[in-house]
Amino acid sequence: MTETETKGVLVIGGGIAGIQAALDLANSRVKVYMVEKAPSLGGRMAQLDKTFPTMDCSI
Amino acid sequence: MMDVGRHPNIELYTYSEVTHVEGKAGDFRVTVRRHPRYVDEDLCTGCGQCSDACPIVVPNEFDAGLGARRAIYSPFSQAVPNTFVIDRESCLNDDFLVCENCRKACERDAINYDVAPQDVTISVGSLIVATGIDVFDPYTMKTYGYSVSQNILTGLEFERMLNASGPTQGHVLRPTDRRVPKKIAFVQCVGVRGENDCQYCSLFCCMNSVKDALLAKDHAPEIEEITIFYSDIRAFGKGYESFYNRTKERDYIKYFKGKPSKIVEDPASHDLTIYVEDTLTGKPMEVVSDMVILASAGLPSSDTLKLADVLGIELGQDGFFKTEKENAQLLRSTKEGIFLCGCASGPEDIPDSVAQGSGAAAGAEKYVADFRLPETEEEITPIDVGGPPRIGVFLCHCGINIAGVLDIETMEEYVRSLPNVVHVQNDLFLCSDGSQKLLQEMIKEHRLNRVVSAACTPRTHEPIFQETCARIGLNPYLFEMVNVRDQCSWVHSQEPLLATQRAMDQIRMAVARAQWLEPLEQKEISVEGSVLVIGGGPAGIQSALDLDAQGFPVTLVEKEKELGGRLRFLDRLLPENVPAVDLLQRKLAQLKASGVRVFTETEIKEVGGFVGNFEVSTTKETLKVGSIILASGSDVYDPKDEYDYEKYSNVLTNMDLEGIFAQTDGGEALINGTKPKRVAFIQCVGSRNEDNPHCSRICCPTTVKQALRFREQGTDVAVFYRDMRTVGHGAEEQYRAARGVGVVFIRYPDDQKPVVTKSGKGLRIQAFGTMLNDTVNMEVDAVILAAGMVPKEPDTNTFKEMLKVPRSPDGFMMERHPKLGPVETTTDGIFLAGCVQSPKSAAESMAQASAAAGKAASLVCRERIKLDPTICRVNEALCRGCRTCVSICDFHAPELVETSPGIFVARINEALCKGCGTCAAWCPTEAIAAQHFTDQQIEAMLETMLEEGL
Repeated sequence: MTETETKGVLVIGGGIAGIQAALDLANSRVKVYMVEKAPSLGGRMAQLDKTFPTMDCSI
Repeated sequence: MMDVGRHPNIELYTYSEVTHVEGKAGDFRVTVRRHPRYVDEDLCTGCGQCSDACPIVVPNEFDAGLGARRAIYSPFSQAVPNTFVIDRESCLNDDFLVCENCRKACERDAINYDVAPQDVTISVGSLIVATGIDVFDPYTMKTYGYSVSQNILTGLEFERMLNASGPTQGHVLRPTDRRVPKKIAFVQCVGVRGENDCQYCSLFCCMNSVKDALLAKDHAPEIEEITIFYSDIRAFGKGYESFYNRTKERDYIKYFKGKPSKIVEDPASHDLTIYVEDTLTGKPMEVVSDMVILASAGLPSSDTLKLADVLGIELGQDGFFKTEKENAQLLRSTKEGIFLCGCASGPEDIPDSVAQGSGAAAGAEKYVADFRLPETEEEITPIDVGGPPRIGVFLCHCGINIAGVLDIETMEEYVRSLPNVVHVQNDLFLCSDGSQKLLQEMIKEHRLNRVVSAACTPRTHEPIFQETCARIGLNPYLFEMVNVRDQCSWVHSQEPLLATQRAMDQIRMAVARAQWLEPLEQKEISVEGSVLVIGGGPAGIQSALDLDAQGFPVTLVEKEKELGGRLRFLDRLLPENVPAVDLLQRKLAQLKASGVRVFTETEIKEVGGFVGNFEVSTTKETLKVGSIILASGSDVYDPKDEYDYEKYSNVLTNMDLEGIFAQTDGGEALINGTKPKRVAFIQCVGSRNEDNPHCSRICCPTTVKQALRFREQGTDVAVFYRDMRTVGHGAEEQYRAARGVGVVFIRYPDDQKPVVTKSGKGLRIQAFGTMLNDTVNMEVDAVILAAGMVPKEPDTNTFKEMLKVPRSPDGFMMERHPKLGPVETTTDGIFLAGCVQSPKSAAESMAQASAAAGKAASLVCRERIKLDPTICRVNEALCRGCRTCVSICDFHAPELVETSPGIFVARINEALCKGCGTCAAWCPTEAIAAQHFTDQQIEAMLETMLEEGL
């Protein structure tokens, strides 16, 4: 068991919502721990081809 | 994604799960189990040799099972982290068998099969649940034959098929014979909204199918016909309705209202016959299609139940995490300190998921506000960029998005011949983690002092590349990007040779410009730590409370005498039917107990300054704030003489009726003093028409809610609608309940509005019912118009001018990016909350308000911020003080300064300047230069363009 000292926020899930939450917190100088069950971040949105209406690439 | 991977404040545990949580809000202890990847994260370079050596092939989850992967794999090219992982379920190595091919293939010795799971304990103040959504598997549905026919795909499978890096490399192919289908059919609402299905609406599937129909034709022009079988097209979000309208203009897309009863495959031809009732004639129909896409519903993520148990939070009836009820807080779970966002609490679309992520962050921040990390900056030694230009050019394939059209090999050879280019390289996905590292290595190895990439759009990717350069000390403004995807391969996909030529011309121009690029330094400015919230409705109050909870000084300004906005006139709020007045009382009590300074009957007179340093004069006092949240709300559409609204007192709007219900105090609602026997609602009044093409989103749920109230008192209800868009938590369930208690829903055609005439004391409503294929005549006591929302005038325009925030085509305030920046604006430091951005329910407005608060907090929690140096500068020696720049700048950035008596020169405020270069172009003495777009740089591009001709 390893211990961590700073008190941060835990984000469960590394899809678009979790990523946005984590980035906002981290940019507000808060320590963030992100836990994702899959081997990579991205969630559903990474699987999408393009998003309307701008047709930007999802990744 | 990559930003998370490399953010110094984020610790990432992938392939991990939360197994235990104890403690309470402000002080949780969490155990995280890290499952072994069997590949060392520090040693793995992501080269993929292990995967090539692996003998096992299994379906790839990322490609929804359409593609294949090995037992040791990386889920997709741009995965974060880029470390490979062994799926031990399918790996050959166990106690009895030894394969070890991957271990032998790995040159870095990164693979170790004997690693045990590791438990890590973390102490946190709060948690955010963002577990997302699973997709309903139609395998068990006998009627649609998904298990029988390969030519039936789910929406997600089709999405992967359309993807250039997917299993068919973006080619739309019928799985049985791998030829391009002529006819495709989309079937909506699979697994939801039926008798035995989930009762909620999945929300995102309609727009997903609409988008995929467009993309399919783009990918395969041979497609002749795309039919979308739908129940209601729910184009409810901002910009959705106009997108939907655009697809209706395409002659190859057909919308067919009806839910197919079964789909049968012909065993010989593998064509599919769709059995559906023609809702116009009531007769059964058979439609033959080459391929069918099932818009499969969203389900709660598979580990929801387990996680609810670990976290000690409740689930709703729909199986998603339950939201806090009393205060209609969509972002709070049933336990303090645990927040929900995205699809964790029910299906959401992308903009709402993004906003909710920010909103949950704002809520969570309250519990750790005392633990902010110091503002540290890594010391990076800058690379010496002196001497002649040494340019490196990196060509990206973007899967087949670029390489499928452009001839990368020819381009590479050509680029090598360009002056000062010392290194050229191509890459499958230049934006992937591994490729970015490689780019850094190449910069060092070839001592590059300029970098050019020919890839996708700078709009989304330039910052990523710039950051990659900056991280090893190369000034980010020595990076130049060419958009050969949007400007060459996408638009000229039918002309590969010419497109390649054009790409080479553009790269030549970029290389010419790169020689003249100069390193620029970002200037820092101080930031005021306070925030102004404009508007005291539910959104404004929520933003103010969230910021106050985090300890920031907040001022809330409301022009009316009383706070509460539209909340004051509402009866009960969706999704949980909380009385609006109770909610408002609680919010006002919280506000009173908080440190928020509230000014009512106060208007904003003028806004000056810039991000971090706004100066706002109000009718009460002048404020200095770091950030502004605009929550000035919207108006309800005034029907005026439409349906004789102004003439008859028994023609009301939803809003009028809310007022009546709110005053009944639980008793019966009376219209003109009597209890109506029968009422009719008319939907889409002032929405989805030529003047206001947008959908107002809240009217359908409101009508259903009110119809249920009427049924409680025995009043008969008919609803005349076009598409029932019961969007939002619990709304679809209420729609079903309304049908259950005898509310009659009659669909009228888009181009044939119902007609209301006077009939005795009551009214007669006449409409054509498309589902009945007949004209309906109905005598009613009252007609309720579902009047939509419109931008508030003249406020919206006043704030547009004052805050320099543009308005969208629908007239509401425009967000920075419809998907990725729903609460930010193009003006730094100004954020949007609630209906000022687009129509929303009170609960949705408050969720978005939390997001705006979170964004403002990330700005004002910093003492200093960096400014973009790509702005205009004045050479004061050349300036004559003619005022041209002052008069033409839209952002009020230049001002005249008296340097010595009688001598005026222009100075440009660095924080206000957007670097558009208008002043530089107009300046008669050429005293102004646009940094990063200097005359020299642009001339170099033009010269080389004319040299060889485009």
